[in-house]
Amino acid sequence: MNPLTSRTGRVVAACVVQLALVPLAVAGPLSARLTGEEYLLEVAPLDPIDPFRGAYVALDYPGLPSSQELGERRYPTSEVAYVPLVASGDVWVGRTPVADRPSSGPFLRCEDEHWRLRCGIDSWFLPQDEAYAMEHAVGQGRVVARVRIDSRGNAALVGLEMHDDT
Amino acid sequence: MPAEAPEPQTDDMTQDLDPGARRVDAGRLAWLESELASWHDAGLVDDTQAQAIRSRYVAVRRFSLARLLLLLGGGFVGVGLLWLVASNLDELSPLLRFLVVTALWLGFVATAELLTRRRTQLVVGGFRLLASLAYGAVVFQAAQSLQVPAYEPALVGVWGLGALLYAYAVAGVAPLLVGVTTSTVWFVWTVFDTAEDGMGFVLPVLLAAVVAGAVSVVHAARVRPAFAAPWRDTSALMVLLGLFVAAFPDVDAEGFVWSAPLSLGVFAALTAVAAAVVLAPRARAEALAPLAGVVAGVLLVLWEPPAPVMGAVSGEGYAHAFVSVAVYVVAAGWYAVLGVLRDSSRLTYLATAALVLFTTVQSFAVFAPIITGATLFLVLGVIFLGSGFLFDRGRRHLTANLGGAPA
Repeated sequence: MNPLTSRTGRVVAACVVQLALVPLAVAGPLSARLTGEEYLLEVAPLDPIDPFRGAYVALDYPGLPSSQELGERRYPTSEVAYVPLVASGDVWVGRTPVADRPSSGPFLRCEDEHWRLRCGIDSWFLPQDEAYAMEHAVGQGRVVARVRIDSRGNAALVGLEMHDDT
Repeated sequence: MPAEAPEPQTDDMTQDLDPGARRVDAGRLAWLESELASWHDAGLVDDTQAQAIRSRYVAVRRFSLARLLLLLGGGFVGVGLLWLVASNLDELSPLLRFLVVTALWLGFVATAELLTRRRTQLVVGGFRLLASLAYGAVVFQAAQSLQVPAYEPALVGVWGLGALLYAYAVAGVAPLLVGVTTSTVWFVWTVFDTAEDGMGFVLPVLLAAVVAGAVSVVHAARVRPAFAAPWRDTSALMVLLGLFVAAFPDVDAEGFVWSAPLSLGVFAALTAVAAAVVLAPRARAEALAPLAGVVAGVLLVLWEPPAPVMGAVSGEGYAHAFVSVAVYVVAAGWYAVLGVLRDSSRLTYLATAALVLFTTVQSFAVFAPIITGATLFLVLGVIFLGSGFLFDRGRRHLTANLGGAPA
């Protein structure tokens, strides 16, 4: 008997498919968390509060290509840009973005909006009072981001940590 | 064996399908009751026959207070749930938050199904609305738990796809509304994200209208007629929105970039129209009309009249404005007529309101810079009267020709 002929069967099947769609919506960060390796990136603040989303810290990454550098690019841009990462002391910094996926080494896969890159590590959600404290700490340059990056360049922000030496 | 009651043909979006008695407007049922009484008095039917006929129908008030409150309640709880997730459930770990929201969603689905078995249809729609909104909360909570920013169109896309799946599984109009809305938002957002200019907005809006219009035609002619109205209304709204934006002279295609989602949209639109024409040949005009809207909208965006110099609008600027108004009057007139033909006063009101808004905005945009005071109001009044006259004449003419109904 085909289970889809009954109403209950159709509803159960719909719920199963709906649940299966959820990981697809977050496939990149999920893959990065499950299979990626950890890297530390220097962070800077951007914007503290979004009234709808609640409290979070919006982050900027001084070590990644800036909007000014992106604006000065002379090569054709596409919807996706790859940012190769190189070690610089305790943290990693990005080199000039490229349109083709690098063959080796850690790199970030980012959405290229021409004036900025969105690499999926732009915000960190946390309770409102902690967001203010974290925003303050980030503003003083005492925080680094712990990021997991998988082999395809998908990234997930897994933590913000205080720098002990600053 | 008794004949199966026909599926309700009403365009009431708040109802969910019921295989039992046919639901009709209270006014129409009152008319039937008076006719039955006169047939009974004339000896055409006896008591038993009159009761049997009467029992085949049940009155439906489209905007009953109970339904309004239930839908408002469902909507508020759903939005509140989304907001609650958005505002961080501070006390719980990300995984636990996700599990709580998922349990809520499945609870709403199960409650709706249990109520369906008890035939409490009025409440079922509210719980289905809640379930489809709660599914959005599940998607956004999953994203938040993984620190994914909320402004990803893919999240809305998955929400829309899931809501559509649920709507078709349970034959529910309330989740269909959520699914159609979120899917449309996803498509327009995805394309606009790549090409942040006028064409990047107008084209996906109009392509969404084509798909929605074709799906509506197939529903009306083939399967689940109650699903036709939400798709039809969405199509009309998108055509009127797309042409509204396309009519502005400074909306252009300078930053336009062709993208994969746009190709998908064109393919989906053409496929949907072809399918609608084959499956419902008698309604091919309704399926093809939004396609004409796409052509008109694209041409209006590509037509860039010179900007006014020292407040003086050029001849081409006037021509652009008048052609835009003419296109909009035709489009709004078409949907007003469609509302009459499909017995949907909502569609007719939508078209009329859109025309009034459009004419006002266009008139002020074109004439306000060069005419002041009383003259401005005189000119606008003449434009309104002219548009209204043309609109009404067109509606009467089309209604008489297409439907054979009295205008």
